[in-house]
Amino acid sequence: MISPKSRKNHQLRKKYTIQLGENELVLKELDLLEDDANVYKLIGPVLVKQDLAEANANVRKRIEYISAELKRIDATLQDNEGQQNSKREAMMKLQQRLQSIQAGKAKA
Amino acid sequence: MASSSSSSSARGELEKMGIDQLKALKEQADLEVNLLQDSLNNIRTANARLESAAGALNDLSLRPQGKKMLVPLTASLYVPGTLDEADKVLVDIGTGYFIEKTMEDGKDYCQRKINLLKSNYEQLFEVLAKKKSVADEAGMVLQSKVRQLQAATTS
Repeated sequence: MISPKSRKNHQLRKKYTIQLGENELVLKELDLLEDDANVYKLIGPVLVKQDLAEANANVRKRIEYISAELKRIDATLQDNEGQQNSKREAMMKLQQRLQSIQAGKAKA
Repeated sequence: MASSSSSSSARGELEKMGIDQLKALKEQADLEVNLLQDSLNNIRTANARLESAAGALNDLSLRPQGKKMLVPLTASLYVPGTLDEADKVLVDIGTGYFIEKTMEDGKDYCQRKINLLKSNYEQLFEVLAKKKSVADEAGMVLQSKVRQLQAATTS
């Protein structure tokens, strides 16, 4: 029983996980470079020369941001699951009560 | 010996389930198998692209500087040019970043990515094999149960 809200959250979580993986790969490659190596960033149709330190900082910041978002979404997902479970339990209890009432009526 | 006992205990679990549950489980397992198959195909495609990139690099490294060549401007327009320096290459490392590397490092990069993809492929393949066996088992138990039910209702 996956509500549309939690499906959206799952998709978002998948997107963030993929982005996190990609950014970590980029960071690994940047770390392998010599300090004087040339780094370029694709901004629209333009390849702009970037400072290695700046590129490192940017990628690290993005990784931090994405990790924080992932944690937030995981917490939301857990919350929703907890709510679903408690609602399900309440529903089962009501069903049981209904069944026992109906059984009682049938006997009487 | 260990695998047969684990599969028979899984079988026991499957036998205990009702027909509806079994059907749902098999559908779920089939969906997962399809997803995993798609991922495997994606990895294979990416690997093929990397291999052709590595091949192109190797080819390029053999060409002398100043060699005449045709440069693609669009998919159907090429202009004549000369090969400048074949020692430096720009590598796309993802998220819009490109780094300048020597020919050696470029080849090494391609090789590293190819190896990474190969190991991912193997891991995923194992997961797929396990899921597939679960799906197949569920299917067999489901079929036998349906047959039992039919035999019971007709007799």
